Parts: sequence; structure tokens; C-alpha cells
Amino acid sequence: MSRASIAQWAKELYEDLDFSVVRRWRENNPGRKAIGYLPVYAPREILHACGCLPVGIHGGGDRLEIIKGDAFYQSYICHLPRSVIELGQSGRLDMLSGVLFPSTCDVIRNLSGMWKLLYPEHYVRYIDVPQVADPRIATDFWAGELRRLLSDLGELSGHVPGEEELRASLALYNDLRQAIRELYAARSEAPWTVPSEELYLLLRAGELIPPEEFLAKIREYLAAARAEPGRMRDNSRVIVVGSFCEQPPLGLIKTIERAGCYIVDDDFILGNRFLVEDVPLEGDPIEGLAAAFIQSAVKSSVVYEPDPEGKRTLLKAQVEAARADGVIFAAASFCDPALLDRPMLKDGAEKAGIPCIAFKFSENSGQFQQFREQAGTFSDSIKLWGGV
Amino acid sequence: MCISAGIDVGSGAVKAVVMDHSGAGAAILGASSSRIRRREVSHVVDEVWHAAIAEAGVRRVDYVATTGEGEDIPFATGHFYGMTTHARGALFLEPRARAVLDVGALHSRAVRMDERGKVLGYKMTSQCASGSGQFLENIARYLGVSQAEVGALSLASKEPEKVSSICAVLAETDVINMVSRGISTPDILRGIHESMAGRFARLLRSLDPADVVFVSGGLSSDTGLLAAIGDALAGAAAKSGGSVAELTTDPRAIQAGAIGAALWGAFRYRKLGLGGVAWTA
Repeated sequence: MSRASIAQWAKELYEDLDFSVVRRWRENNPGRKAIGYLPVYAPREILHACGCLPVGIHGGGDRLEIIKGDAFYQSYICHLPRSVIELGQSGRLDMLSGVLFPSTCDVIRNLSGMWKLLYPEHYVRYIDVPQVADPRIATDFWAGELRRLLSDLGELSGHVPGEEELRASLALYNDLRQAIRELYAARSEAPWTVPSEELYLLLRAGELIPPEEFLAKIREYLAAARAEPGRMRDNSRVIVVGSFCEQPPLGLIKTIERAGCYIVDDDFILGNRFLVEDVPLEGDPIEGLAAAFIQSAVKSSVVYEPDPEGKRTLLKAQVEAARADGVIFAAASFCDPALLDRPMLKDGAEKAGIPCIAFKFSENSGQFQQFREQAGTFSDSIKLWGGV
Repeated sequence: MCISAGIDVGSGAVKAVVMDHSGAGAAILGASSSRIRRREVSHVVDEVWHAAIAEAGVRRVDYVATTGEGEDIPFATGHFYGMTTHARGALFLEPRARAVLDVGALHSRAVRMDERGKVLGYKMTSQCASGSGQFLENIARYLGVSQAEVGALSLASKEPEKVSSICAVLAETDVINMVSRGISTPDILRGIHESMAGRFARLLRSLDPADVVFVSGGLSSDTGLLAAIGDALAGAAAKSGGSVAELTTDPRAIQAGAIGAALWGAFRYRKLGLGGVAWTA
């Protein structure tokens, strides 16, 4: 398949709010369960080992009219939980047998409670991702949580995986994260060959299909991208920070790149890259998965940072690694984790001489002119008056 | 030696220039512009591009810079934002300029810059179209006069009729009423110009422009509008006791965005040490 046809395939999955691909998977795999998960990090390896299809729930974006969801949340709460409620209340998530709610923020925690009340037939689990400074205590705690999840899902699916099956799932997700790292590296190397719009669509499609298929599709896309190198433009290189939970509308990602800013790193759908290093395949697989999280979770707003200077130095390192010229802070309106971290991140970046701009979006934002102006003038200022 | 080109895709017209940067300064080798008029924009871009290239007589361009809505032109090397290019283009056409008023088909904006063309601040008209060329074109059509006649007719006004609204839709209704009341065409046009000029003067004064303001964009050749803006600035200065900015323009002011894009393109070409060629015949 060509790059364009893979992107088109991914876009069709992204736009399908009835999750037809998940429904088809269930029809083709009778008796097996599809389990949803909210952002940011969920241990998908365990879902896979239990024979379940992990399904990322990222809201309705700009394609869903919110009719019932607004009644559940105050106006000062972000948009994601409204559209998730809307998806649920409109029956679009009825193919799921359970949903995991990671401890990303209070809003998602509260959503898990609502889900329990609204859908008593679903398996609902609040995933208490560790936020403890002591790695030994944190690993023990997290391994205990993972064992509970494994036990619950084993019971739900009717299949309790053995150690070898768990290791096979760990290995598969190691391969998947490696492929995603390659995808990001290819974009950083030649962003005109891997447009962020296409990369993003591919990641979104990967949230709905089995990891084996996703892995194959990434490799296919990378091969197609190498075969169709594209034409370089004189754009600035930026990293986008703050979109790890509620996702920006596709139009916003396109707008940033059209305005002259190549996105060379981002935190979109961060769960895909949450573990920076491979999970060890030796020893107890649950212990290994727990230790990998504690030792190599990506630095982000949803993970406790023990170093008081850690947030201030983070972006300098990221910018250097991505050879970026500047940072665009793009967080969802009312996203507490992103907006609470922003002043520290921005302060650190500006002290390091990194140009920054900041704006807020909502997953259903439909007007992009203000973003276009900001990104366009930002790119101009970098290209004409910066050191680039 | 560097040959650069600028393509400015506006909401009403496409403009292109080809520039030579081999000497101490830069020189325009070729320029072209064409109204879009319900045509496919990519076709207008092709037409304007080839006309500018033909006039320039070049067979290669080192850097093709786009501005305005030109982000998707496939052979572009880079894109610059509209106010960046209008500031630079204005400075090329009038080196004393420290502010530019770009009056386009759908939007108008005032930009303040320094002597290098660096944008120091800007203000745009809001989404209402009553401060734009499209609005004036509609009015001219209702009155049955051509765009070329508007300026001279407005200057001939003896008793300008005040337009009571700043909303395009209501202003158009006003004009229909004026015609039925027998108000002369010059007085209607001058009233419209004064209404627009008042908005532009407020935009400019909010930026506190220095001595020389350059008017660019499609309406820069409208002498009636220029006179009205000059009067509005003088009136505002008299009220506040401030100095009056000098208003200036150039016959090539409609190309200011494209010129600025070409100049910034050449700047980037040199800065990056680009060796490749963006376009060849």
C-alpha cells in the first residue's frame, strides 16, 4: 500500500465513531472480549495476554454532538469526559465488556465512578498508577495492582494466561514500542516524509486494532514513506507539549504544520510510548512489567517528579534530542495536569533560550485561524530572527 | 546570485513576483497578479506564476516563498505569514515606512515594524467584512461604477453622506436607501470611504505608528480611500494633540506581500546556504 492509502485507511478508522472495526473483531472472535481504556497509560500487555482486544477511548473529537454528556459535567471540566459519556450513552461503546480508567486526573477517576453506576454490566477498574518516590515500594504496589487486574481479566475472559503467554505479550508490545520509536525517529529525521497528520492517524487507528496488525501497519507505512520521500520545506521544527490526554482535533495538527512548523516530537496518545525501555522478558513477567514502569516511564505531567528541578530541565533535553527550534504548548482547556505543569515547563524552556508559544484547544475546536496565526508568526520569528 | 519568487494568495487575488538578488540590493524582474473571481485558485496561481516567470525571463528560481493562503502550493520552498511579508514588502517599496496598513479583500490589518522589517505589533479588523475590499467592491457594483472609477468619484464629493453602520450588511442597506433618496454617487462613495477610514485610523492609532505609514493590498490604489484615511488620521491627531503620520503608497503596493515573501525567501536561501533549486523551467 502507498503512504496515502495507509493514511486513508487509518482516517476511516479514526472517523468511525461506531467502532465498526472493533465490532467486526468481536464477530470474528466469538467469546473474546474487547476492553476499553482511557488515557494515559494502561497496561495493555495484560489485556492482550488474556485474549482481549485493548481499545483506546479518546472521546468523540470534533465529530460528535454532545447531547447527554454535558449534563454530567460542570462547564469548567475538560471536554473529553463529556464525549466519552456521549459515546457510552448513545450505545457506541456497547461492544466493550469493560473499561479501565487510569489515574490520570480527578476527572477520569470520577468518570470511573459514573461508569460503574451507568453500566453495571461492564467490568470497571480504576487503575491506580503509582506515584511513589520509593522505587521498591512503588514496584511492589504496582505489581500487586497488575496481578489484581490479571486475575479480574482472567476471570472475565475465561482465560488466565500462563507466564509464557504473558512474556509473549510483553515481547509483542516491546516490538510495537520499538516500531513507534522508529516512526517518530523517521519523522524527526525527515518530517516532510512522515507528516504529523498521517503519523497521528496511524496512532489513532492502532488504538482500535490488535497490536499484531498495528505493528505490521507501522512497518508497512515506514516502508512506503522511505519509498516516497516527499519534498522538504523550509519550515521550523517544533515539539508539541500538553496533548497527552484529551486529543487535539486533526485540523489543529494539520494547521500547525501548514503554518510552517514541522512537528518533530509530541505527546499525542502518550500511552503508546509510556515505557521508554523494553520490558525485561526474563523472570516474573508481572514483576518485569511493574519494574519497567517504575524505572522507565516517560517524564510527563501524569507521573510524579521527585526532582524539584526536573520539570524545568525536561524540555531542554527534549528539544535537544529532537533538534527542535521551539516548543508549542498545546493543552486541552481545563486539563489540570498539563496546565499545572505548563508554567514550570515554560519557565525552564525560556531560561534555556527556547522560543515558546502556548494555546489551549478543545477536542471539538472547529476554528483554527487563531492557531494558524500563532503558529505562522512563531515559525516566522524562528526562521527570520532566531538562530535557525 | 539568488533568484527568489514570492506568491501571495489572497482571498480576492493572486500576486507573484520574481526578484534578483545578485547586486547590492534586490530588483524585481517580473510581476503579475490576477483576480480569482470564482475560479479554481490553483489555476489562478499557475496563470500568475507563469506570467511572472515569463516577464522575468528566468529559467530557474532558487527559493519560492508563499504567503497568504499559499501554504499548499506544491513547488514552494517555504511559507511566511502575511504580516511578516507585508512589513518587509512595504519597507522595500518605502524604506522610511515603520507601519503598514494592508487593505485586502476580506481583512485589513495594521502592522508596526522596525527598520529591518521585524514585526513589532499588529492589529486586524474583526471578522466583519465592512473594512475590506470585498465590501467596497459590492458597494461599487450596487452603484454601477467600476473599481477604477471609485477613487476619483469619491474625491469629487461635496457633501459626504455619513454611513450610519459599521456592519457590512447594514451599510449595504444604507447605500440602497441613499440611492433611493437621490444622494449622489460621489457623496455615497466618500461616506463609505470615511466609514472605512475611521476603522483603519483606529487600528493604526492603537499601534501608535511612527512617521510613515505605507498602504498595501488591493485597495492601495484607491485614491479616494487614501484621502479619507489621511483625513481620519489628521482628525484623530488634532483631537489628541499628537503628530500626524505621513501616508504613502506605491503603484506596486498590491504586490507588497509577494515582494516581502520573495525578499524573505532570499534571506533564508542565504542563511541556510541552500544549494538546490526550487523551480526550473
